[in-house]
Amino acid sequence: MRRRVVITGMGAITPVGHSVKAMMDAQLAGTSGVGPITHFDASKFPTTFASQVKDFELARYVAGAERWANAGLNSRFAAAAAQQALADAGLLDDGKIDRSRFGVYLGSGEGVQDFHNMIWQIAQTYRPDKREIDYPAFMAGALEVFHPGREAEQELHTTAAHLASHFHLDGPNFTCLTACAASSQAIGEAVDMIRQGEADLMLAGGAHSMIHPFGVTGFNLLTALSTRNSEPQRASRPFDLHRDGFVLGEGAGMLVLEDFDSARRRGATIYAEITGYGTTADAFRVTDSHEEGRGAIACIKQALVDSGLSVEQIDYINAHGTSTQVNDQVETLAIKRVFGEQAYKIPISSSKSMLGHLIAAAGVVELITCVETLHRGWLPPTINYETPDPECDLDYVPNQARQHKVRHALSNSFGFGGQNISLIVSKV
Amino acid sequence: MASRRIVITGIGAITPLGNDLDTVWSAMLAGKSAVRPIRSFDTTGLPTRFAAEIDGFDGKNYVEKSHRKSLRMMARPIQFAVAAAHLALVHGQVDKSKLDPTRFGIEFGAGLIASELPELVDAAQVSANCQPGRVDLAAWGEKGLGLIQPLWMLKYLPNMPACHISILHDAQGPNNSITESDAASLLALAEATRILARDGADFFLVGGCESKINPLSLVRQCLFEELSKRNDDPAKACRPFDVARDGMALGEGATVLVVEGLDHAQKRGAQVLAEIVGYGSAFDRNLDGAGLARACETALNMAGIAAEDLDHVNAHGYGAIKEDAWEAQGLARVVGTKVPVFAAKGYFGNMGAASGTTELSLSILGLRQGVMPGTLNHETTDPNCPIQVQPVAPRPVSKPYALKVGFTHMGQCSAIVLKK
Repeated sequence: MRRRVVITGMGAITPVGHSVKAMMDAQLAGTSGVGPITHFDASKFPTTFASQVKDFELARYVAGAERWANAGLNSRFAAAAAQQALADAGLLDDGKIDRSRFGVYLGSGEGVQDFHNMIWQIAQTYRPDKREIDYPAFMAGALEVFHPGREAEQELHTTAAHLASHFHLDGPNFTCLTACAASSQAIGEAVDMIRQGEADLMLAGGAHSMIHPFGVTGFNLLTALSTRNSEPQRASRPFDLHRDGFVLGEGAGMLVLEDFDSARRRGATIYAEITGYGTTADAFRVTDSHEEGRGAIACIKQALVDSGLSVEQIDYINAHGTSTQVNDQVETLAIKRVFGEQAYKIPISSSKSMLGHLIAAAGVVELITCVETLHRGWLPPTINYETPDPECDLDYVPNQARQHKVRHALSNSFGFGGQNISLIVSKV
Repeated sequence: MASRRIVITGIGAITPLGNDLDTVWSAMLAGKSAVRPIRSFDTTGLPTRFAAEIDGFDGKNYVEKSHRKSLRMMARPIQFAVAAAHLALVHGQVDKSKLDPTRFGIEFGAGLIASELPELVDAAQVSANCQPGRVDLAAWGEKGLGLIQPLWMLKYLPNMPACHISILHDAQGPNNSITESDAASLLALAEATRILARDGADFFLVGGCESKINPLSLVRQCLFEELSKRNDDPAKACRPFDVARDGMALGEGATVLVVEGLDHAQKRGAQVLAEIVGYGSAFDRNLDGAGLARACETALNMAGIAAEDLDHVNAHGYGAIKEDAWEAQGLARVVGTKVPVFAAKGYFGNMGAASGTTELSLSILGLRQGVMPGTLNHETTDPNCPIQVQPVAPRPVSKPYALKVGFTHMGQCSAIVLKK
C-alpha cells in the first residue's frame, strides 16, 4: 500500500493577507486585493493596476533576513511563507526529525530583471547608422551598472536553495516553472516523492512576482490582462460575461507535506490529506488551451482516479478561474464533461477574483484555500460575478461566502503553454 | 526502485562538438575541444571572450514544414531543444503513430532565457533618453510597449521547450520544466523515471537546453566571476580538478533522451541503450560534499550496488576553483580513490541545464562501446581534489555501471546510476 501524505504546516503571503488565517478571513469577506500598481510607474501602461502584497517587510518574519538582501520579492515572499509553514508544523528546530529526509519542491518564478539599466544601455549603445547595437559598448556599460548580487538572485534555482540552506532542509531539492501550474505541480510531485519513499517530509509550494515593467509589458502584449483601469477592484470577474482578462497578483504559499505515519508519530496537527493528483498536457497551442478542454478533462479524471473518490464525493472546486474569456469557458466545459449532471450541484469558486493571479504561486495558495474550507465549513465567493455567461452556467458561489460542509475539495491549475494540474485534498 | 524497469532507448544531441553522436564521440576520443574565441558577436573588452559555440545551427532542418512558422516564437535554446527531441525520436526509431499520446510525457531542464536585445531597441529608444540609467516608464507604457512584438514573452519562458515539444509530437502526458540551474536535466531525468515507475506514463522525452552565449547572459556570467579568463588559450581553459584551473567555460546546446518502461520498449521492439537503476537528490548545505555524497549514496542504494561496482563516476567538473574541490571531496566520501572520475566540460564547456543529459549520454556511449574518453585538460590533480581523475587518454571500460552527478553552485545535487 502506498504511503499517505498529509499537510502539517501552511504559510501564505498574499495580496489580501500575510498569513493563512488573514488570507482566508479576507476571502470569506469578499475582499479584493487589487489596486493601482505602486511598484513602478504603470500609469501609461495598457493595464495600470494589479493585486500587490502590501506593507511586506521580510525582517518581520525571519531572523537573518540579510541573506535575502539582494533577492527579489519572489524569494522574500517564499522565505516568509516557509517560516510560517515550518513554525506551524513545529519543525523550525533541527532536533525533531532527520533533516536529510526533509526536501524542498518549489514551483517558483524568476527574480526581477534590472529593467532600467538594461533598457538604458540598449538605448545608449544602439547605433542608428549601422542599425545595430554596439555590443562591446553595451557589455562594458552593463558590467559597470549591473549589480552582481541582484543579477545572481534572478536565477530560478536560488529561491529553493535559500530555503534549504536557511531552514536546514537537506533532502531532495527541486524547482519547476510551468507557468500558472507550477506550484501545484511542485506539490503533486512532492507528494509522489513521499509516497515512493524518497523523502518523509517536503516543503512544497511556490512564490512569484511579475508586477514589474517587463512582466506587465509581456502580459499586456499578449492581451491577457484586464484593462478595466477605471474599476480595478471589479476587474477580476471569473465566469462573468463581461470578464476581459486576468489581474496580475504576487505572493507565496508553502506547505509542509509529511508521511502520515511520521506526522502521527510526532503528534503533529494534520490539516488535510492530499488524496489525488492529476498531471497532463494539452499539446495543443502555445497561446491557447485546447478548445474542448482535452487536457483539463484528462487531468481532473486522473486526480479522481488517484484519490479513489467518485464525482459525487467532491464537495467543492476551487477553479483555476483566471477571468479570461477562454479559460473560464473551457474550465467550465471540462468540469461538466467530468462531473456530468453532478457539475451543477458542486459549488465552484475562484480565489483569483479577490487575490488576482499569483502565476507560479497561484496553485498553492488556492490549495490552502481548499484546506481551509475543510475546517471552516465556509466557501469563499467568486466576487464581481454580475452577469451570467451562457457558456458558464455552473454554481460559482457568486459574491457571498457560503456555509457548506466540505470533506473533499478539488483545486485546478492550468499553465500557459498547456500544463494541467489537479489536486484533491481530503479531511483526515 | 519499484518493480518497473526504466530504460533509455534514444539520444538526440545538439552540441558544440557536433549534432550527431558519432561526430561528438570521435572528436572526444581525439581529444578535441570545442572551446574557442566567441564568433557570434564582438566580445572586445570582456574579461572572458571565449566559449564553446554551436556553428551554423538552423532550426528549420529539424522541424516539419508545417511547423516552421513556430520557430519564430522560439529563442535559440528552445530551438536546440526541439531539434534534439527530433533527433532523439529518429535515433530511438520511434513510430509516433504507435504511441499513446496520453501516456507520452515530457520532462525538461531549462533556465532563464535571455531576451534578444534587438527586439527591445525600438522601445528603448523612445523611452530611455532623459536621465542616465532611468527609463521614462510613461513613455515606455504609452509608446515603447507597442513596438515590441506581441508574443515576445512566450519566446523566452522556461517551460516553452517542453511545451513546443509536446505540441510538435502530441505528448499529452505529464509535462514539467525543472529550472534548477546546472542540475536541471538530471533532476528532470530522475522525475521522469519516478513517474514511469509509478505508472504515470509509458514513454518520455527527457532533456535539457541552454544557451548563455549572448551579450546579456555573458555579461551576467562575467559578473558572477566564475568564468575562466584564459583568453590566450581557450581550448585549455576548462580544466576539471586540475591544479591550474581558473574557472568555467560556457557551452550551449541540448540533449534529449528517449526514456520508457522496459515493457514498453520491448513491445515496440526498441534497442535498449542503458537502464536507469538509481537516482538521488540532496542539498549540500555547507558546500563540503556531504550532500553530494548523500545524493550518490541514495542512487547507489536504489541501484542495489556498491561503489566498487562502478566503472566510473561522470562528474560535474566545472573547472571552477571552489566547486571542483567540494565536489571531489563529496565524491571521495563515496568512491574514495578506487573509481576513475571522468569530467566532460573540458570538451564543450558548461552547457548549463543541458549539461546533465548531454554528459550522461557520454556514459551511455562509453558503457556500450567499451571505452571512455579522457578528462580533457586534466594534467595535474589538485591536492584539494582527493579522487582518481581519469587523465586525458581514453580508458577501456571494465564494469557495467556508471554514476553521473550534477549540482548547482548553491548546493542542489543530483545523481543517476546507469547500467549497461
